[in-house]
Amino acid sequence: MTTATKTCLIVDDSKMIRRVATRILRELKFEPTEAGDGREAIDMCRASMPDAILLDWNMPIMDGLTFLKTLRGSTGGTKPVVVFCTAERDVIKIAEALDAGADEYIMKPFDSDILGSKFTEVGLLSQDRYAQSQL
Amino acid sequence: MSGTLSLKPSYYEALKRLTIELVGVKLGEDHAFLVETRLLALARREGFESLSQMIEELFSRGQTRLAIHVVTALLERATSFFEDRKGFETLGDVLLPNLHQLYLGGTIRILSYGCSSGQEVYSAAILVDKLAEILPNMNIEITGVDYPSHALERAKAGRFTHFEVQRGLPIRHLIKYFDRDGEDWVVKDSLRNKIKFFGHNLLTDETDLGTFQIVMFRGHLGQITPPAKARILRSLGGLVSDNGYLMLGCNENPGDTNFWFDPVSIAPGCFKRREKQVEMPEPEPEPEVVVEEAPQQAFIPVEYQGGGTA
Repeated sequence: MTTATKTCLIVDDSKMIRRVATRILRELKFEPTEAGDGREAIDMCRASMPDAILLDWNMPIMDGLTFLKTLRGSTGGTKPVVVFCTAERDVIKIAEALDAGADEYIMKPFDSDILGSKFTEVGLLSQDRYAQSQL
Repeated sequence: MSGTLSLKPSYYEALKRLTIELVGVKLGEDHAFLVETRLLALARREGFESLSQMIEELFSRGQTRLAIHVVTALLERATSFFEDRKGFETLGDVLLPNLHQLYLGGTIRILSYGCSSGQEVYSAAILVDKLAEILPNMNIEITGVDYPSHALERAKAGRFTHFEVQRGLPIRHLIKYFDRDGEDWVVKDSLRNKIKFFGHNLLTDETDLGTFQIVMFRGHLGQITPPAKARILRSLGGLVSDNGYLMLGCNENPGDTNFWFDPVSIAPGCFKRREKQVEMPEPEPEPEVVVEEAPQQAFIPVEYQGGGTA
């Protein structure tokens, strides 16, 4: 039995972060797409809802929290698993993101271990599959 | 790579013998670079000018304290929270509910043997805290034990780096059970105060730790030499109460090592003390002629007496 490749939209205004995340996600067998801000991400979600979203907080035009609230209020917007990925480490900010509908939260800087661990946590990766990718 | 190493081959061989003697672990040939980097960090912490100076001191004076620090620095492994997650699911879904039925209102003792820097023992404490709502009247004591080491000191402090708290720990647990302190995260006192830590060497230390309903020894078997494996598993078995469980890693197999425990079919990696066969007394040949009626003696089953006091 083959499993369809999961899609993941990376939303970050840093090209470098998007490149690093793309590489890690490809290694984890995801099909990544990219958006540079929340507005662009909303447009992409309306065209095709991804399975997962890796979401930065502070971005121009539309920030991550506004994007998340907009997404969760839109048709089909509860489906994607949203993992915040931001330099914000304040406990109040983290709680705010979770209240707005984030499923998990990564504090930058991150590495492939952290991303794999968090994606396993929210069921995007099976424990066995993640363990195999570590070999 | 070996050209960049400063440690003499004879010292490397001596370190390999030392780790086998002290803790039963065999260092691989390919670990030379790891040995070098870890011991260099230890030499700096211990105030030596160089790695060679520390190793010469170790083998010329034979200080026990330094030997233990060297060996534990060599063996410290990177662990993550809720590592081998299926084992924690088994603990929360099967083992603790079973024990809760048996010990309603009593105390259940959990031991994490080889707790290293503490991720396993704090994960167990978080699990127990979450279970308190569905398993009421459950008093649980949690103990973390490892060789006296810098890793154990870190476990006691409950301080973890930005990277460590993001490996295996759900974000909701992080903000509930930890406080941020600069770049690090520190376990809240409410959780840390539930755990006791001890420095202990199973192969040489005679200290009586008592018995536990759960003994966790997960992820260690692979590096232990076969003779040490039998000794360690039998010693650990002595720490498990009669109705308790020994937890190895879900995919760890003790092989044909006989330590008087059997696997629990519904809980991968978990073992229970083998039940002692109740021996039926041989029926005495009936006397052909009954002179006078002897009083009937009730059969009393032989109860298993081993395993210490639960």
